[in-house]
Amino acid sequence: MGSSNNDGNQIPAISIKGISKSFASNVVLREINLDVFEGDVVALIGGNGAGKSTLMKILMGIYQPDGGEISISGKRVNLSTPSAALANGIYLVPQEPMLFPNMTVEENIVLGFKEKRSELHVRLEALIENLGWDLKLDRKAESLSIAEQQLVEILRGLLRNSKILILDEPTSALTFNEIESLFRIITDLHSNGISIFYITHRLTEVFDIATRVVILRDGQITMEGSVSQFNQEMLIQGLLPTNYERAAKKEKVCKNIDGSAIMPLLEVKNFSGYGFTSINLKVYPGEILGLAGVVGAGRTEFAVTVFGKDVVKNGNVLLCGEDITGKKCSTIIEKGLIYVPEDRHLNGIYSISDVEANVTSGILGNFNKFFVDRKKANALTDDYIKDFRIKVTGRDQLTASLSGGNQQKVVLAKALATNPKVVILDEPTRGIDAGARGDVYRIINELREQGVAVVLISSDIEEVVELSDRVATMYQGRINHTFRGESITVDNLMSASFGVYKEEVPHE
Amino acid sequence: MNRIVRAITQTRELFTVAFLIILFLGTGIVNPSFLAPDNILLCLNGSVIYILLAIGVSFVITTGDIDVSVGATLGLTAAVCATMIRDGSSLIMASITALTIGALIGLVNGLGVTKLRIPAIIMTLGVNGLVRGSIYVYTEGKWVENLPAVFKSYGQITLAGFVNLFLLITVLIVIGVYLYLNKGKKGKYFAAIGDNMGGATLIGIPVDKTRILAFVLCGVFAALAGIIFASKIGFVTPTAGNGYEMKAIAACVLGGVSLTGGVGSVIGAMFGAIIMSSISRILVFLQFSSNWDDTITGILLIIIVVADALIQKHFKEKARRERLAARDLKALRAFEEMGGDAE
Repeated sequence: MGSSNNDGNQIPAISIKGISKSFASNVVLREINLDVFEGDVVALIGGNGAGKSTLMKILMGIYQPDGGEISISGKRVNLSTPSAALANGIYLVPQEPMLFPNMTVEENIVLGFKEKRSELHVRLEALIENLGWDLKLDRKAESLSIAEQQLVEILRGLLRNSKILILDEPTSALTFNEIESLFRIITDLHSNGISIFYITHRLTEVFDIATRVVILRDGQITMEGSVSQFNQEMLIQGLLPTNYERAAKKEKVCKNIDGSAIMPLLEVKNFSGYGFTSINLKVYPGEILGLAGVVGAGRTEFAVTVFGKDVVKNGNVLLCGEDITGKKCSTIIEKGLIYVPEDRHLNGIYSISDVEANVTSGILGNFNKFFVDRKKANALTDDYIKDFRIKVTGRDQLTASLSGGNQQKVVLAKALATNPKVVILDEPTRGIDAGARGDVYRIINELREQGVAVVLISSDIEEVVELSDRVATMYQGRINHTFRGESITVDNLMSASFGVYKEEVPHE
Repeated sequence: MNRIVRAITQTRELFTVAFLIILFLGTGIVNPSFLAPDNILLCLNGSVIYILLAIGVSFVITTGDIDVSVGATLGLTAAVCATMIRDGSSLIMASITALTIGALIGLVNGLGVTKLRIPAIIMTLGVNGLVRGSIYVYTEGKWVENLPAVFKSYGQITLAGFVNLFLLITVLIVIGVYLYLNKGKKGKYFAAIGDNMGGATLIGIPVDKTRILAFVLCGVFAALAGIIFASKIGFVTPTAGNGYEMKAIAACVLGGVSLTGGVGSVIGAMFGAIIMSSISRILVFLQFSSNWDDTITGILLIIIVVADALIQKHFKEKARRERLAARDLKALRAFEEMGGDAE
């Protein structure tokens, strides 16, 4: 295919043939074929869950593919462990640097080598001088900035004479100047014939440094070619779902709420915290506000901080006009705001308890003074099981034994049993089947009918389009655009989430 | 405040040595006879068994696991070694048998923790019960007594008139282990695994093998402590070594070996062990009842672990915040470039 330096008979530095991978019934990669040549900088882009990380973890020997083969310089290899991948010249610089915080920079780099320490030291110093980096080898890793940690990771790979370097969203935690120096390094490596996989969510970066582009969607390569054949619009197109019609009309009529007449239930003013800055939002009764953006845009950090679980740097949160900034979670729930977290296993359910205990866990205090009123609790649980169509053998079934979709319904029931005025849903349909997804959508729409203000955080853009009355997109910790009515389209939201939305839309 | 916290965490061994000196001088002020050279020597000689246990446990703690079976391992190996010698075996044969038993117990712990993924505390607690029980079965609940005088005399051998043979061997072992951990090619593997297990896997360190090795070494050192225990004490009861695991773990922690793994040195553990074994003697010199010994050990253990956990949490949270803040700064620049209306 259209590699810039592929003359047709050159042997690829790495060749991926028919790689597939599933986790349980969830197919993550379908028959991936990809040849990468010496000196290629391959930008690997795709939405959340497209399979980028899984593919890279297979190259690194962390996961084993279900089918297919990988060849390096024309030789078939078996990447069964990370050490096998390392021996074959592959090195993964993970998104979160994986250093040993209590060791020095040098120890971090040379650990795991077979050579003598003194020889390594000489080579390492030569390498650093060659690159022209300023990095003290005797510093402790915990004192390094994220950018410096990334340099250490790259040095690890280079000192191993790796020919294939995988950079997983290397710029996600870097400052502007650090990104510039990273790009210089990548250009250097490129001219030295090192092949680089560059995973990113930032489309502008693709044109800055990549020589080739590979777009992954739903575990398949949808587009691939030399970077010169692409422009930003094409990248966005490649990310869009196949069966999606550009001019798809929304079935639902968006409410167009006049902000001057009604008081918003939730109002966030100039709100800043760790991971997001200067957020201004209003959510009105009976409105679903979609909050779109890519992973790491700061949406969850924002929601968690509103909910009182992290430190507020600046600004205010008003619930029905009452200031709840920096209050405790329990107080905030009492006042009528509830947050449904994205990872139900980690934060949402009590898996070894039965359905009833889960549903009523948030409101036990309401059932009586000392002993829980069993009748009331049973009735409430039965209501939710019926309303939400939770498939259970009875309210005493263990929550852990339910399917993902039914677990999610239990989590929603638990949250809604508190009778909230404002609900923040974080990825409410991640990893659940189509049937349950429909039920969750119905529940969300019912909340809207009841006049609850809903904030819907979702990386599934179609879902945001389908449900929302109004959408705000977050990009790098800030709200960069808001959309209402007709302008809520998958196209627009996708561009705005990736920070490349251009049309003139008045910003709120 | 930050600087103080950082200074403490980076010079953990010095902190332990300073604590030891203050403790001894403090006791000496109340009761000057404590500082008599003979008494100091007794303190040091008395710490040999704890030092050996602490060396072994520090391997396991450094990799991020824990081993609470060393007390029972010491008891079983001491009983086996003493019985064999009483029945006429050579010292070499008895020692090899004891060390092999120690290694096997460690291997069982290591396999359970890595291959069966049983939490280390549960696995080693179970093994602790199993091994302690087997002492009773092996000795039929009786004391192992009437050991040959030669065997019991090893503990009295001194070099240059005052350096106890066991103490000398122990100090040499500590130095050897220290060099292995810091200069040896694979010595840093233990700390790396405790520091960041995912990162260690990623650079090709054999994580499971190294963790198992840590447990095996722990068992071997507990067995060595068992042999010396039999010789020094001269008889072995079925309860020998009971509760020593707490002392050994507390010694490590006091010596700066962090329970979260990845931090600490065997030198620190040695000084921690000297403090731990001296507490009961110090209590006597201060005219307290030595019944307080275990209570004080427990309190020290908890205080240090809690302080350590708070410090680590503080740094972790700080790192997370710095990271998110860095993202913000960059976003601001990007916004200004795009002419975006951020505010």
